[in-house]
Amino acid sequence: MYLKIEHLSKKFEKKQVLNDICFTFESGKIYGLLGRNGAGKTTFFNCLNRDITFESGNFYLGDNNILRRITSEDIGYVLSVPAVPEFLTAREFVKFFLDINKGVIDEIQPIDKYFDYIGIEAEDRDKLLKDYSHGMKNKMQMLVNIIAKPNILLLDEPLTSLDVVVAEEMKLLLRSLKEERIIILSTHIMDLALDLCDDIVLLNHGILEAVDKNNLSSAEFKEKIITALKEETHA
Amino acid sequence: MRKTLVISFSLRNTYRVNAILYSLRQIPILKRLLVQSLYKVRALKVIANIFSFVWEVLSAFLGKFLYFATMITGLNLLYENQNPNEVFLHILLFLTIIGAFMNTYMFNPTKDKYYAMILMRMNSKSYTLVNYGYSILKVIIGFMPFAIYFGLSKGLIIWQCILIPFFVASAKVAFAASALIYYEKTSCVANENSMDKFKWIAAGLLLIAAYVLPVLGVVIGQSYALLIMILFVVLGIVSVVKIISFQKYHEMYRLILANSMMQMENAKELSKQLSQKSISENTLVSSNKKGFEFLNDIFIKRHKKILWKSSIRITIIFSFAVLGLLAALFIEPSIKQSVQKFIFEYFTYTVIIMYSINRGSGFTSALFMNCDHSLLTYSFYKHPRQILKLFTIRLKEIIKINLIPAIVVSIGISLSLYVAGGAPHTWLYAVIILCILSMSIVFSVHYLTLYYLLQPYNAATKMKSAIYPIIMYATYFLCIILMNIRLSVTYFCLIMIVVCIIYSITACALVYFLAPKTFRLRT
Repeated sequence: MYLKIEHLSKKFEKKQVLNDICFTFESGKIYGLLGRNGAGKTTFFNCLNRDITFESGNFYLGDNNILRRITSEDIGYVLSVPAVPEFLTAREFVKFFLDINKGVIDEIQPIDKYFDYIGIEAEDRDKLLKDYSHGMKNKMQMLVNIIAKPNILLLDEPLTSLDVVVAEEMKLLLRSLKEERIIILSTHIMDLALDLCDDIVLLNHGILEAVDKNNLSSAEFKEKIITALKEETHA
Repeated sequence: MRKTLVISFSLRNTYRVNAILYSLRQIPILKRLLVQSLYKVRALKVIANIFSFVWEVLSAFLGKFLYFATMITGLNLLYENQNPNEVFLHILLFLTIIGAFMNTYMFNPTKDKYYAMILMRMNSKSYTLVNYGYSILKVIIGFMPFAIYFGLSKGLIIWQCILIPFFVASAKVAFAASALIYYEKTSCVANENSMDKFKWIAAGLLLIAAYVLPVLGVVIGQSYALLIMILFVVLGIVSVVKIISFQKYHEMYRLILANSMMQMENAKELSKQLSQKSISENTLVSSNKKGFEFLNDIFIKRHKKILWKSSIRITIIFSFAVLGLLAALFIEPSIKQSVQKFIFEYFTYTVIIMYSINRGSGFTSALFMNCDHSLLTYSFYKHPRQILKLFTIRLKEIIKINLIPAIVVSIGISLSLYVAGGAPHTWLYAVIILCILSMSIVFSVHYLTLYYLLQPYNAATKMKSAIYPIIMYATYFLCIILMNIRLSVTYFCLIMIVVCIIYSITACALVYFLAPKTFRLRT
């Protein structure tokens, strides 16, 4: 399976943020989308998720030589600041989600099984989400995004504000999820990208560009990325 | 001094001009015309500067005019049996004392002070003296024409009228000086935005003294009132010495501004906390429903306090008012005719009543802050079918919440009219009831439709639409206009019913066609 992006362009007034992007992401990999502040990483995700309008561009999902347009069910989008309905308990949120996605989700499991999977303790499952910590909210957001098994998972700065334990749990989770889907995570923290991601893609001057590791040591690879970002900035 | 004046003025003007330009850009049609670099376009700056100047002049005069016209002269009309110039001075005296500690300028932590004294490191003392002097001068100049006009119309003589602005300014200066002395002695700083409960109690008592005492026949005699005013002027002049010689402006403002800038930073957090507070902690609340019905059911149950409870409270208050009116009609039949006349003449006022008791805007803001703000980030929630399904459920709910007080108001008015002498046609009772109920429904539809069509917030719960608040204000002004229309009850009711039906159908149709595209988080 692969995600094909064709001629994606987006500008804010006169500023061209995404400049005729053509790129293919493959399943089974975690892609690290690296870029400087303001490079357009979130805009790129918002376009893919059709949260904002854009000048041109098409997105397709390809599988076994069949190419089809992406629907909203194909995408799970995890924001850096976790957004969960605060007036619901965790159990109610999952129940609501399962209710309205009946027919879409293949094998619905008992709710507690999902909590076991994501690591939400039994005593927290019937608490209001407004009383959840940042890390727990993040887990809930992630859980709801993966229950429906979307083909594409977009993660915007996912681990930056989590404590070390939750961050490690999330890394393990993401690695376990990558097999049957395309995972793209945006970050501006290079060490995180190098640690977690299989491929690094740079977003600079509105263009996506894969960085080839080519048997480089991790220090050399870092250097190559920084040089690329610097060079393109001054280009 | 002159340099400080020029710098502080240009600073204030710059951010006011930028704020005007920013607001202009929030209006969709203008947004396309105005580029982001508009902040450096000279012509636009000139226009914004004119706006800014007009605002400065208006702020000096308009508020004072309204103050005199409503708070003092307007309410003065209630006391027909009292000497008008004595009541005028009596109310003015007490309100001025309230204003002296509630509206000080000196202890109001505004952004321009923060920019000037903290960010730009201007000399606190000279900045304060210059700007405080200017604000007091604005008080004197702003008050003068209206004090003379309204004073003369109430039978005061010219020197008494001229005394009024000086009295108002002196009261402010005297309070400011006493607060400075208090700060020197205790290190406790006054802050307009966070007043303690004693000041609120004092304000309440003074308000009662201003408006209730004249009802009881107690009014300060004219000569006493004038004497008090003169004493205040003397006190004000003495206080100027303290204000000029005070040396601790810098440390005092660091305290005032640090606190309130922290509050501003936390304002977003506070509003979030406030909306979170409205969620009931009761996790035992449950629902047998499924999907969106389940979501809505739990939402309503956990927001009972701000939705149903307040609607029921309004219903109870109106029930008592209706019962009181009916009892009065039975006990004192002589008032029947005037009640009947009042209902016929002022029926249009029901518009503003229905507008004020509608919970629609509270409902939609709770919907966003506690529910849609987060769920709109999930793609399953933005599916057109789901959006419309939830809209229908919510529409039913908000109509239900608002209908209960509307039923009491409509039946109450019809019943009172019946007891007070009756309507010319029997069917008019039904039309009155129908009219009030349709007004209630149309306000519910209005708020929810607006929310679905304009969804004005972004993911950080910041208002990103200029149209939304404009329509909110326009709704209010439209109600005021409708309220003042003089039309027979029959015509008014029939027109309102038709308009409400047409509006509701159109609004819902618009939502069905447009909401799947418009009901998004703003970016």
